[in-house]
Amino acid sequence: MLKKHPLVGFALFGVVLFLLSNRVDELRVFQGATVAIYVIAIASIILLTGYSGQVSLGHGALLAIGGYAAALARIHWGAPVWLTFCIAVLAAALGGYLLGLAAARLSGPYLAGTTLALAIGLPSIANQFPLFGGEQGLLYDIGMPPASLGEDFTQYKWYFWISSLAALISIYWLRNVMNSRYGRNWKAVRGNDVAAELAGINVGRNKVLAFTVSAGLAGLAGALLAMTISTVSPGAFPLALSFSLATGAVLSGVTTLGGVMIGAVTLVAIPEIVDTVVHRFETSENIANNLPGLLVSTLLILTVLFVPNGPVEQMRARHEKRAKR
Amino acid sequence: MIQFFNMLLIGIGAGSIYALMAIAMVLVWRSTRVINFAQAGMALLSTYIGFELVQKTGNFWIALPLAMVLGALFSALVEILLIRTLIKHSTSGPVAGIVPIIATLGLLGLIRACIGMIWGNQDIQIQPPLSKVGFKIGEETIALSPMNLLVLLAVLGMVVILGFIFQKTSLGLSLRASAYSPEIAQLAGIRVGAIRTIGWAIAGAAGAAAGLLQTVNGTGAVSPDSLEFSLLLTFGFIAAVIGGLESLPGAVLGAVVLGLVLAVVQIYISGTLVFIVAFALLLLVLLVRPQGFIGVKAGRRA
Amino acid sequence: MIRTNRRKLALTSAVLAVAAMTASSLPAQAASDPGVTSTSIKLGITVPMTGIASPGYNKIPGAMKAYFDYVNANGGVNGRKITLVVKDDQYIPTTAVAKANELILKDKVFALVGTLGTASTKAISASTQLAKRGIPSLFVNTGFSGFADSKAYPTTFSILPSYQMEAKIMGKFLKDKYADKKLALIYQDDDFGRDALAGFKQAGITFTTAIPYASGSQSLPATGAGWISKLKAAGTEVTVLFGVSSASTAALANAYAAGYKTQWVLGSVGGDATTIAATNKAYVPLLYGAKGFSFAPAPSDSADEYIKLFQSIYASAQPTQTFDNNVVAGMSNAFLAVQALQATGSNLTRAGLIKTIETKGATFANPFLTPLGYSATSHVGATGYWIGTYDPTGALKPDGGKYTVYTTDSGNGPVVESSYKRPAMPAKGLPN
Repeated sequence: MLKKHPLVGFALFGVVLFLLSNRVDELRVFQGATVAIYVIAIASIILLTGYSGQVSLGHGALLAIGGYAAALARIHWGAPVWLTFCIAVLAAALGGYLLGLAAARLSGPYLAGTTLALAIGLPSIANQFPLFGGEQGLLYDIGMPPASLGEDFTQYKWYFWISSLAALISIYWLRNVMNSRYGRNWKAVRGNDVAAELAGINVGRNKVLAFTVSAGLAGLAGALLAMTISTVSPGAFPLALSFSLATGAVLSGVTTLGGVMIGAVTLVAIPEIVDTVVHRFETSENIANNLPGLLVSTLLILTVLFVPNGPVEQMRARHEKRAKR
Repeated sequence: MIQFFNMLLIGIGAGSIYALMAIAMVLVWRSTRVINFAQAGMALLSTYIGFELVQKTGNFWIALPLAMVLGALFSALVEILLIRTLIKHSTSGPVAGIVPIIATLGLLGLIRACIGMIWGNQDIQIQPPLSKVGFKIGEETIALSPMNLLVLLAVLGMVVILGFIFQKTSLGLSLRASAYSPEIAQLAGIRVGAIRTIGWAIAGAAGAAAGLLQTVNGTGAVSPDSLEFSLLLTFGFIAAVIGGLESLPGAVLGAVVLGLVLAVVQIYISGTLVFIVAFALLLLVLLVRPQGFIGVKAGRRA
Repeated sequence: MIRTNRRKLALTSAVLAVAAMTASSLPAQAASDPGVTSTSIKLGITVPMTGIASPGYNKIPGAMKAYFDYVNANGGVNGRKITLVVKDDQYIPTTAVAKANELILKDKVFALVGTLGTASTKAISASTQLAKRGIPSLFVNTGFSGFADSKAYPTTFSILPSYQMEAKIMGKFLKDKYADKKLALIYQDDDFGRDALAGFKQAGITFTTAIPYASGSQSLPATGAGWISKLKAAGTEVTVLFGVSSASTAALANAYAAGYKTQWVLGSVGGDATTIAATNKAYVPLLYGAKGFSFAPAPSDSADEYIKLFQSIYASAQPTQTFDNNVVAGMSNAFLAVQALQATGSNLTRAGLIKTIETKGATFANPFLTPLGYSATSHVGATGYWIGTYDPTGALKPDGGKYTVYTTDSGNGPVVESSYKRPAMPAKGLPN
């Protein structure tokens, strides 16, 4: 039944999340909001890389565009929060469109390198113009949760609800897009762009479209991220973020949307788990400081070596193998 | 006038540093078609090894070649353990594009963490083997020092030696063939796996030289999170792309162009535009002449 | 079989129920804040321990712990031992917020102390709603003047003088001493540097050459050489460095290489000789004759009672690490924290702590040579600088042989010579 009516599935999941948010403590609620944001951001990379075959190492820059657009709209125009999110999506989509135009002619390492340089260069721009608040950043305050939700409704729960709703809507919408004509076109381009061209698909246009949609989603994630830390600053969108998102996409399985939660949860859970593990042991300062980094990197390498297609694809392949017997 | 002349020297000096890294990146690309983000990490590790060697032997000129040898060995090890497994396990398509990148990024993090655990996160220092005070022409000190000359010579030496290996030896032919088309190379009897390892070893040696020379040419300090190395990776990549990823002389040319452009911007325009200009230059080259200045336009693969 | 399982289940539930009831009927901590028991106080800090900004700053928690352990060994604070929970934020605001949430919600610390970085501090304050929860954020490690505003940040306390203060005092110094010389400025192109520009403008200083650099670009190969080439061409005689220490090393080293002589004036952030020494020992002699600004006694000044005590505490706690300005900063921070906790008394609450600092903070014993400005309306810490000259060993020696301190505010107030006399250190360096 769920397969036939995915909307029901999504709605049910939403209800579950709502119930959960009343049961768990503040820290988990905050982390839940972060997971939802990563879900959107990782999905945007799965779209771009997994479906359209273009590697981006600079998605952090697109999140930054979204975050700054939302903050500026709120500060200078006093825009209501939902509108700032829309502006974030549009601004980032525009950025993605321009980047896509430039990138359509690039492939492989050239594209990766260009997006990398963008991720490094963008913070400089924030420092150039005082409008962007410089290193210390701008305040992005979405205000208190509505009074109708009650006195005890905390800020972080509000963030969790907003992020989760945004994530549910985004993934549902994206899923439909991927199953539509556009998704099929992207898959065709990814498989063999020459053949796709011969089959009548405008490769360039589809690549740009993928970039635009992916960027729009990233912009939404960026605005939500800014919401959770109540500020935007260049430091909040470092190169490490772009790398984390790409990592999350690979951990989820870059070719399919199904495993996107796995990557998102891993990104949030692993640092905390590793921290707790490290604090159990009394070690020298050097080891204590670097052990988290070591464990995370090792985990990443092992996953990438042995589960390169992501756990969802791996299970599907095993399932198929078993079915063939 | 003197400032213009100094500006040229400064630009070329910076370019030679970028060239060191660009050469290492082009080597890896030409031998294995992988963009190795761990290149900076491996160069970093080789630099630390060089530091230990300088401490033990007190002589930079012994430490440098030894560090290059050890860098080559380590690089070969990485290829055997990591890259081969990667290629064996991964499928084609978009996964093949992004997975090696993530794997080498993971390796970078691993190397940084290990260095931090062994040597700590503070700076370690390597003193330069040659003076960094500029030569004097009459009363004027120009922006060229013995250390700058050493770097320039190293770059030229690498280009000549490596160019010779790639173009004039059968090893070089095997390297180029294995990278371009592994299946056909294998059919022709080339042991692709071993050749790839050799390619990485050479790149590792070049990376070690790049790391050590760029450290002593700079402040002499290095730490696991060293900003210099991260910047080196990016600018080395930009230089390699400008020159065309396929050619070593191209990488050097691209690096010199990058160095000069940035020097002009910093001295005559404004130092705040450095990163923006570097990115804009990269974008410009990719839009107008994606194969780089020296590269040949890739033929349509049927 | 089923009966046995049902019985097991019933038994387990009964045990759990009793346990739950017992647990909830335990006498709750008598209306006390989290992180405080009758025998302990838990403090938390977010600081870059790894990552780009970490060299140097990652010594601060170790230094703080060294002082806290010393206090604990000598009876603690009103009988309570202090523990410091350290979280690595890698200088990224999103990580800082996540780690601060862990400190507040999971580790349940009593207060945050020494948060590092303007953007991170801002993000933590806004996102975790420090003000609403009444959680003190003591002695933040940033020069942003906004945190001294007690209306905007009611639970946050500064400790460092702001960048504007430093620029104003530097400006007066330049005007007094070098009014007829050609001045040059190298500054970081972000709020840090721009705060300085504003301060210099206020002091009425004009620079013949002002060279901004993009943050990070000072580590590129050609940047320093480019600066010196420009300065040479402009023929400037006094060069002010208002950037981070990697920029100072780039400027000094390239000036030496190019044979360029000038009177260097170094800001406190980039002028730390010990950080420069940690980068490359060979650069320390290049500082000889340069002017430097500081507000604490120099780490080399073993005649100072605070420095002497800190040196001995740190030497036994961290024998392999060098004693430098980062260590002095950390230990001073810890000292003030202990002083504040002590003065609040045995009934230790968050609100009480904040009130104590506001009412008594200005009179706290502390290592700084400038007065502290804590009050109900302002949470500003140190308020001024003394000026010194570097000797060949990299030690900053005060001009005139004694510490002459100038104080000012972050606004339009004048720069005045202060008559502040630092109170004597309490016995054994233990606040009472």
